[in-house]
Amino acid sequence: MKLRLKTQVISILKVLQEKDGDCLASDLARELNIDYIVLMSAINDLKDHELADFKEQDVDQISMNEEGVNYIKNQLPERQILTYLAKKNIKEISLEELKKQLKSLDDKIFYVGINNMKKNRWISTSNATGENTLFVITETFPPDTELEKFLKTFKKKEIRDFSQLSKEEIIQFNLLNKRKLMKREKKTRRVLFLTEKGKRIDILKIEELKQVSKITTEMISSGTWKDYEFKPFDVTKPGPLLKGGKIHPVVYLINEIREIFISLGFTEIRGPIIESAFFNFDALFQPQDHPAREMHDTFYLKNPKMAKLPKKDRVKAVKDTHENGGESGSLGWGYEWDEQIAKRTLLRTHTTATTIRRLAQFYENNEVPPIKVFSIDRVFRNEKLDKSHLAEFTQIEGIVIGENVSLCDLKGIITEFYKKMGFQKVITRPGFFPYTEPSMEISVYYDKLGSWLEMGGSGIFRPEVTYPWGIKNPMRVLAWGLGLERLAMLKFRRNDIRDLYINPIKWLRQESY
Amino acid sequence: MPTLDLNVNRLERLIGKELTIEGLEYDLQWISLDVEDINVEENTIKVEYNPNRPDFSSPEGIARALKGYYEIELGVPKYVINDGEVQMNVDDSVNTVRPFIVCGVVRDIDLDEDEVGTLMNIQEQLHWAVGRDRKKVAIGVHDLDKIKTPFRYVAVKPDSISFIPLHGDGDPMNLEEILKYHDKGKEYAHILEGKSLYPLLIDCNDQVISFPPIINGILTTVTDSTRNLFLDLTGTDLKAVSLALNILSTMLADTGAKIESVVVNYPNGESLITPNLESLKWEVSVDYVNNYIGLNLKESDMIKCFQKVRMDAKKSPKKGYLDVWVPAYRGDMIHPVDFTEECAIGYGYSNLPLTIREGCIGQYHPIQDFSNKIRMIMIGAGYLEVLNFILTNSEKHYDYMRQEHEEKKVVQIINPISKEYDTTRTQILPKLMETLLFNRSEEKPIKIFEVGDIILLAPKEETGAIRTLHLSAVTYHDDANFTEIRSTLDFIMTALGEYENIIIKPGNNLTYINNRYGEIFWKGKKIGEIGEIHPEILINFKLEFPVAALELNLQDLF
Repeated sequence: MKLRLKTQVISILKVLQEKDGDCLASDLARELNIDYIVLMSAINDLKDHELADFKEQDVDQISMNEEGVNYIKNQLPERQILTYLAKKNIKEISLEELKKQLKSLDDKIFYVGINNMKKNRWISTSNATGENTLFVITETFPPDTELEKFLKTFKKKEIRDFSQLSKEEIIQFNLLNKRKLMKREKKTRRVLFLTEKGKRIDILKIEELKQVSKITTEMISSGTWKDYEFKPFDVTKPGPLLKGGKIHPVVYLINEIREIFISLGFTEIRGPIIESAFFNFDALFQPQDHPAREMHDTFYLKNPKMAKLPKKDRVKAVKDTHENGGESGSLGWGYEWDEQIAKRTLLRTHTTATTIRRLAQFYENNEVPPIKVFSIDRVFRNEKLDKSHLAEFTQIEGIVIGENVSLCDLKGIITEFYKKMGFQKVITRPGFFPYTEPSMEISVYYDKLGSWLEMGGSGIFRPEVTYPWGIKNPMRVLAWGLGLERLAMLKFRRNDIRDLYINPIKWLRQESY
Repeated sequence: MPTLDLNVNRLERLIGKELTIEGLEYDLQWISLDVEDINVEENTIKVEYNPNRPDFSSPEGIARALKGYYEIELGVPKYVINDGEVQMNVDDSVNTVRPFIVCGVVRDIDLDEDEVGTLMNIQEQLHWAVGRDRKKVAIGVHDLDKIKTPFRYVAVKPDSISFIPLHGDGDPMNLEEILKYHDKGKEYAHILEGKSLYPLLIDCNDQVISFPPIINGILTTVTDSTRNLFLDLTGTDLKAVSLALNILSTMLADTGAKIESVVVNYPNGESLITPNLESLKWEVSVDYVNNYIGLNLKESDMIKCFQKVRMDAKKSPKKGYLDVWVPAYRGDMIHPVDFTEECAIGYGYSNLPLTIREGCIGQYHPIQDFSNKIRMIMIGAGYLEVLNFILTNSEKHYDYMRQEHEEKKVVQIINPISKEYDTTRTQILPKLMETLLFNRSEEKPIKIFEVGDIILLAPKEETGAIRTLHLSAVTYHDDANFTEIRSTLDFIMTALGEYENIIIKPGNNLTYINNRYGEIFWKGKKIGEIGEIHPEILINFKLEFPVAALELNLQDLF
């Protein structure tokens, strides 16, 4: 079979044949003006065809830096300044003045020169005149120092082996190295050589393989793509940031939880954000003088100021329940219920207000149980924002209206719900919520932290809450709820709850679901 | 929720059983206490108790419940009350001021430092949990031996009587002065606001015992050497003052003291003998409780459950019912349903089986469904979703956006704690501008959107407002312009199948650059705005590149 090689590989082979001997890979790369990596990849191609190979040598080299190269021709700064002083026949001058006159010299280089002149005992400086003054103390114009002599032995880009230096030269090298005019590099260099086969092969008989970086329409349609090799991409490197569209992590989580509810047979509900105290508090059997209703917890509104109440008979049912228990069989709170307080408007403090509206609808439409509904929606508390508190957050709530539904049913559905959320271990313990009885608190085991976390509350709505809406024993309402943000913080490893709603775009672009 | 520090050694003494911190940490949750914190060095546990259980405001109260849980003692705890000689005469002048008072005497107290702490603490806790911060109930504890029965509870003119109050500077003050200058007076003056007479407790020699609900007199200060206590509880609700007295006196009795009754003579001729620790009897249906919890307990098993939560229970003469007696320190039983939870706690929540109710077919809310559809379209268009609050600040919402607003025409919050919030948003765009401000140093282009609610006043609606679904999108980079955002709008409308139904009309809007702004009409109705944001607004939000934006009301589109 005919040998096929890339154009560049062929030309490198040709150069090696012409050189007819070993050469340094780095030298050759410079000579051909190609990247070292590209050269070595070509050599590897040749090696694959047993045409060339390389051996490695450890070397310890010294060479000039750019600044040093400059001084080979233009002299060291100390010599430059001295020459200037001699030319102008200056014996004494203030440093400020001299610096002004030599403004072609960089500040830093100027002082390096002055310091070295002092070291060479060419000059001294003194503050005696009140101003920093330079005095030339060398009688004659001094010959080259050892350092200058050594410097002048170098050609521009010359590299020497450190091991070849004499003791004296090493001293001078160290001085130049300290002044950052020279550098020392220990490295492994590669010596390239041709194999016998490589030396003998007739280049003209090798077929060229052309390389391209882009496939053109023409290459595809004409079929010439077959004649090309595609320039390799570094597949290990990451690409530039794609600034694409993405769902907000919290919304993603909300949708996951919605799916869970749907799979358990729950229907999604939604209710007003601006709510009446009636649905937010009174219908939940929350006495009107209860501390939780006070201003500091609730956003009450100046505008709109008053809400309309539902039908008179339902308002009366709630009023009676507060005052004497009404039909519910309760003792009630024993105070005079005020309709005006119930009409106040507020930003709802919990989605349970919407749940109660669903009970009202149940009554209005003479519906038949079982009914399962849920909501995941915003609620508001008049709180100062900090690491773990928001004034606006999201509640997850589920309820079941059913005949003979029990605490065990509630425990069952909650356990199922949390399992679907990924919490395999769920504990339910006694708790207290003003509008449920019995009540149940929920804790889940979170594997990633190895600890138990409180994750919501639940219970059976008190008869005082359900009776006004015609939900009477043995018909009952099971309910549970939890905060979304707590879950989101766990899932997205956030320590500050505010992060969830300030939209750091860096986070949004990087977060995984 | 209120909290309490429990010393494990003290609990051991009260319960008469060896306890460990770990064991308690597990056990306490089953009697509805939340363990907040554990201090192994000091051997204490901090617990949180629920506001319906003020009797848990002392270690004595918790010990009582634990004794039942461990089955060391079952049923209602028994207390002996000796007949005492102390009398309290209530004057009818208090009727319109602070009508109720109940009292008690506790003899032979011998409190250690820890118990004195508890006594102070339980007063604090009861003031809060039962007393609504002294409004409904205020508690006074006095050295009985400094005063002489019969005592009187009267209401007097604010400047008519002076006495030396506790925690004052030692000088006599009249009642009006106390409210003005005394720390406690200032703190609680609001309770007596608008009253022309102030309540006062005096003994038979007219020595002032207390000025409830504000401060005690210095005369009856309780010290190390006090052996006999007089308790007074005044308030506006007889049930509440009685409950607080019962909790306080049973706690003191549990420390080993003797309780003595006081005769309280009301002006209508009625006399109360307090404290009255008689249990209240309820009839509870066995079926009802079983059905509620989801169990099938026999009567005898259910009786045991009640006994474990320190209630007495036995078969009622009425078939299928139990007679259940509730201890006098419990005030939270107001409906038969309250017994279901007690029974469940007695049975043990951890022992309840799991059952599942089948039935019902789930359904998404159409608005949420539609929101998700919009999200998919926007992501396809290359926009990143952000989420902001509905709460907002009217300066940023209107002034920064070069929009006028009349206070009367927007939602107004009365009492925001944080000045950041005084209204709710009427569009999403200002929030996206804030998001750009926050992220202005991030890599461009920044293209973001939000789907969410805005709130509009709607006087005809039940609560005076409606929530409406909006979409807003902005694009921010050095080439952002009208064409780009117009393409976005066209992409959305095409995906919704509404492209044919929209028309963009040039218009004027101070938020946008003139001649680069359009109003979006859908089937003849204005549903949105689109354009390039005015440079002044870019400066308000510290932005250095152009912004092209759109805002759409989606309510009619789904």
